[in-house]
Amino acid sequence: MLSRVCVAAVLCLSLGLAACGGDSGGGSNTLNFFIFNEPGGGPQEVAKKCSQESGGKYEIEFTFLPSQADAQREQLVRRLGAEDESIDLMGLDVIWTGEFANAGWLDPVPDDMVGPASSQVFQSVLDTAKFEDRLYAVPIWSNTQLLWYRKDKVGDKPPQTWDQMIEVAERENMKIHVQANRYEGLVVWVNAMILSAGAKIVNGPTEVSLEEGPTKRALEVMGKLANSKAAPPAIDTSNEDSARLGFESGDSIFMVNYPFVYASAKENAPKIYKEMGAAVYPRVDADKESKPPLGGINIGVSSFSKKKDLAYEAIRCMIKAENQITIAEKGGLPPVRSDLYDDPRIQKLYSGFVDPLRDSIEQAGPRPSESPAYTDLSLGIQRGVHPVTEIKDPQESYDKLKEFVEQAVKREGLL
Amino acid sequence: MRRGTREYTIWSVGIVAIIIAALFPVFWLLMISLKTPATVGDKRLIPKEWTLDNYEALFKGGLDSPLLQPLINSIIIALIATTIAIFLASFTAYAIARLSFPGKSLVLGGSLAIAMFPPISTVGPLFDMWRALGIYDTYIGLIIPYLTFALPLAIYTLVAFFREIPWELEQAAAVDGATPLQAFRKVIAPLAAPGMFTAAILVFIFCWNDFLFAITLTSSNDSRTVPAALAFFTGESQFTAPTGNIAAAAILVTIPIIIFVLLFQRRIVAGLTAGAVKG
Amino acid sequence: MSTAAPPQVGAAAEKPRKVGVTERARAERKLAWMLCAPAVIVMLLVTAYPIVYAVVLSLQKKDLRFPDEGGFAGLDNYVTVLSSDLWWKVVGNTAFITVVSVVVELILGMLLALVMHRAIFGRGAVRTAVLIPYGIVTVVAAFAWLYAFDPATGFVNDTFLSPDDKAWFGERGSALFVIIVAEVWKTTPFMALLLLAGLTTIDEGLYEAARVDGANAWQRFTRITLPLMKPAIAVALLFRTLDAFRVFDSIFVMTRGAQDTQSVSILGYDQLIGRLNLGLGSAVSVLIFLMVLAIAFLFVKGFGAAVPGQGDDR
Repeated sequence: MLSRVCVAAVLCLSLGLAACGGDSGGGSNTLNFFIFNEPGGGPQEVAKKCSQESGGKYEIEFTFLPSQADAQREQLVRRLGAEDESIDLMGLDVIWTGEFANAGWLDPVPDDMVGPASSQVFQSVLDTAKFEDRLYAVPIWSNTQLLWYRKDKVGDKPPQTWDQMIEVAERENMKIHVQANRYEGLVVWVNAMILSAGAKIVNGPTEVSLEEGPTKRALEVMGKLANSKAAPPAIDTSNEDSARLGFESGDSIFMVNYPFVYASAKENAPKIYKEMGAAVYPRVDADKESKPPLGGINIGVSSFSKKKDLAYEAIRCMIKAENQITIAEKGGLPPVRSDLYDDPRIQKLYSGFVDPLRDSIEQAGPRPSESPAYTDLSLGIQRGVHPVTEIKDPQESYDKLKEFVEQAVKREGLL
Repeated sequence: MRRGTREYTIWSVGIVAIIIAALFPVFWLLMISLKTPATVGDKRLIPKEWTLDNYEALFKGGLDSPLLQPLINSIIIALIATTIAIFLASFTAYAIARLSFPGKSLVLGGSLAIAMFPPISTVGPLFDMWRALGIYDTYIGLIIPYLTFALPLAIYTLVAFFREIPWELEQAAAVDGATPLQAFRKVIAPLAAPGMFTAAILVFIFCWNDFLFAITLTSSNDSRTVPAALAFFTGESQFTAPTGNIAAAAILVTIPIIIFVLLFQRRIVAGLTAGAVKG
Repeated sequence: MSTAAPPQVGAAAEKPRKVGVTERARAERKLAWMLCAPAVIVMLLVTAYPIVYAVVLSLQKKDLRFPDEGGFAGLDNYVTVLSSDLWWKVVGNTAFITVVSVVVELILGMLLALVMHRAIFGRGAVRTAVLIPYGIVTVVAAFAWLYAFDPATGFVNDTFLSPDDKAWFGERGSALFVIIVAEVWKTTPFMALLLLAGLTTIDEGLYEAARVDGANAWQRFTRITLPLMKPAIAVALLFRTLDAFRVFDSIFVMTRGAQDTQSVSILGYDQLIGRLNLGLGSAVSVLIFLMVLAIAFLFVKGFGAAVPGQGDDR
C-alpha cells in the first residue's frame, strides 16, 4: 500500500503538471489557425512562407483539428460558443458559412478584402462563402466530384447520363460506386442529383422548394441505380473511401468521387490507374447540364479574434495565386481561381482532366450553405432519402423527403 | 484428486476456445495494421503484402510523433487517476461498509446518479469551467473528471466487497496479541485486496478508453490521450481513412493494458489464500 | 489505508439503543463523513454545475446558431421529445440492445468467471486474455468489427458464415446483430471480472461440505455460488445495464444510427452537437438520465439487500 507521503507526492505531481500545458496565447503577433492537418502539407507550407514574408508582422501558428469534418466543427463550435479569443483563423468547410455567420461567429469580410477574395474566383465557390448576399469567409481551395470511368471498357467517351451509365454497367456486369451512407456524403449526392434535374432544395433559409417533377425524377434515378445490378452490395453504407477501394479493386466501371482517387490509384492500383479516365459529373436528363458537387475550404476570421486586421493580411497572402498552386501541388486540392487552370503547373498536375475539373467547378451546384440551419437540413435530407435501396416509388419517396425537409427548415421536432 | 486426461482435454479445448474468441478481433486488428494501404480493403484476413510502415509512422518524429506523447499522457493520467480513485473510494467504501451514519444511502445513491448523467451534456459546461480555471489542456484537467465518473463504480465495488469481509477477524487477531495495525495488515488487507485490485483494473481501463472528455478538454499533445489522438490521424488525403495507422496504434496501446492486467490479475485471487485466519 | 483504528465490530453490533446520540456514535459519524468527504467533494465539484446547467437549458429555447431567439420555454422541449415517434422508436431500439446484450453478457460472464477461477492450468493466460477486449480502445474495436463485416473491406462475407454479398449493415436485423456482438465481446470481461472477484470470496469449505452431503455440481452452483455472489452480480448487472443503455460508440462507428439502429445517446448527440439545439438536446439528456434512474431503481428493488446501501445498516 502506498504511504501517505506517496499520495502527497502524486497529488503534487499532478498539480505541478497542471502548470505545464495550457493555452498558447503566443506573442501579440501570433495568429492561431484552427484547421485540420491537411495531409499534403500545402496550407502549412504556405502559412510559413507568408509568415516569413510578413517580416515579423505576424506569425501563423497551427492548432490542428481532428481529421473528420464533423469532429472539426464540434471543436470549433465549442470554442466559438464559449467566445474563445484564441481563435484567429479557421478552416471552414463550405457548408458551415450560413450557420457560423448567423450565430455571430463570423463578421462580414471587410470591404477592402472583398476584391482580392473574389478576383477570378469561380462564382459557385464564392457562393459557398456568402450569407445573406455578403461575403463572410475567403475561399482558399475547392473540390468537386468527377465521373471516373474505365477507359478499357467504355473507350474515351463515357455515357453522359445516369440511365446510360446504369445500362452499360449492367451489361458489363460491373458496379457503379457512389456515396450513400447516412452522412453528409449522401447529401452531397442528393443535392447534386436534385440540382442537376433542375430543382432546388430550398428557396432561402425558411422556404422549401423541391419542385415536384424534377425532384421525383432525381429520386427515381437514384432508386433505379440502388436497385439495379450495378449497385454495390453495400451501397447503403458506402462512402468516399469504400468507393475508392471498390474502384481500385477493379470491380467497377464508373465512380463519382473527388480527385484524390486519381493519386491514390496511381500509388495503390497502377493497373487501374492506367485505364482511369475522368469526365464531368453525369447528367440526370440528357438536355440539362449537370450540377457537380462542390467542396473545399474557406478561411474564416473569428469574430472574437483580437487581431482581425492582421488575420486578413495573412489571408491576403495565403490566397495569392502562387500559394494556391503550392496547395494544389502538395495536396491535389483544386485552386479557387479560374485563371490558374491555364497555368502550366496546374495543367501538368491534373493532366488528363484539367478541363473536366475546371468545367465541373464552374457549373457546380453548391449545397444550401447559406442556410443557418444547414445541419438540420442535412439531417432531414439524410432521414428522408436513406436508405436509397428503399426508393422504389418516386411519389412516396418524394413525399417522405418533402416532409423531412419541411420539418428541418422549421427546425422543429427531433431529427 | 485424480485428474484424468479427459479432464485435461476438456479444459484445454475450453481454454483455447475462450482465448480465440477473446483475441480473434485483436488478431484481425493486428492483420489490418500489417497491411499496405493498397491492400487494406482487400477483404482478406491474412495480408497479401506485409509492412511495418504503419508502426514506423507512429513514432516518426520522436516526441512530436502522433503516438508517443499521447501514449505517455495516457499512461500517466490513468495511473494517477486510478491511484487517487482507489484511495478515495476505499475511504468512502470503508465508511459505508463499517460505520453507521445518516446519509449513507445519499452518498451511494448520489454517486450513482452522478455517474448516470449523460456525459455529452456535461462536457460543454466542463469545457467552460476548465477554461475559466486555467486547467484546460492539462493532466489535472482530465484526472478530475475521470475521478468523478470512475468513483461511483469503484465505491460500489469496494462496498460490495468490504461488506463480505469478516471484520471480527480483526478482533480475533487482537485477542491473539496483534496490534490494530498488524491486525489490519495481516488479516484485513489481504481480504480487501481482491476488491481493490478489481476496482483498480476497472478504473484504469475506464480512464484508458475514454474519448469524450479527452477530445473535449484537451487541445494539444500536451495532455491529449491516445483515444483522442486517434481522431487526428491523417490518411493520404482528406477522404482516406488512416486505417493501417489506427489499427497499429490500437495494437500498441494494448501493451500497457496487458502489462497492467497481468500484474494485477493474480492479486484478485491472492486474498483468499493469503493469511485468512478462518475458524 | 487510514491509520485510525477502526471501531470494534462487536461493539457496534451490540450498540445499546439510547435516546440521543452517544459520544461514540458521534465520533463514528464524524469519522465516516471525513472518510467520505474527499470523494463526495470531487464528484460534486465536477458535476454539480454541469448537471444543473443542463437541466436549466432543457427548460429554455436555446439554439447556438440563432442567438437572438431564446428564453424560457417551460416544458416545451420535453413535449417535443415525448410526442415524437422517433423518440419512442429509438427508446425501443436502445432497450432491445440493452436487454439482449446484458443477458448474454451475464451468462457468458458467469461462465468465464468460473473458468478463470477453476481452470486447472493457464489461469494467468486466460484471465489476461479475457480482459484484453475490455482494454481495446472502444472506437477502434467498433471499427475492427465494421471493417470485418463490411462487404467492401471485410473477410466475413468470404467465409461460410455468410452469403457472398450480404450487406451486414444495410439491414436492421444484421446490423443490430453485429452491434450487439461487438458490445458483448467488448464488455463481457467487465462482468467476468466482477463475478470472478465475487467468486473468490466464497469459502471453499462450503463446497466441501456440500460435496460430502451429496450435492452435485449444478446444485452446488445454484445453492451456494449464486446466492453468495448476489452482491457481485448486483453491482455488475447494475453498472453494466446503465452503461449499455447509453451505448454510443459502436453504433456511431458502424451505422451512424441508420437502419433503425439508433440509440438514445446518438439522438442526444444529433440534437446537441449536430443541430446545436441546446434546449432540445439537454431535454433528451435529462430524459435519458431519468430513464436510467428508473432502471437503477428497479434493480435496487429487485436485488434488495444485495445492492450496497440497501437493507442492513452496519
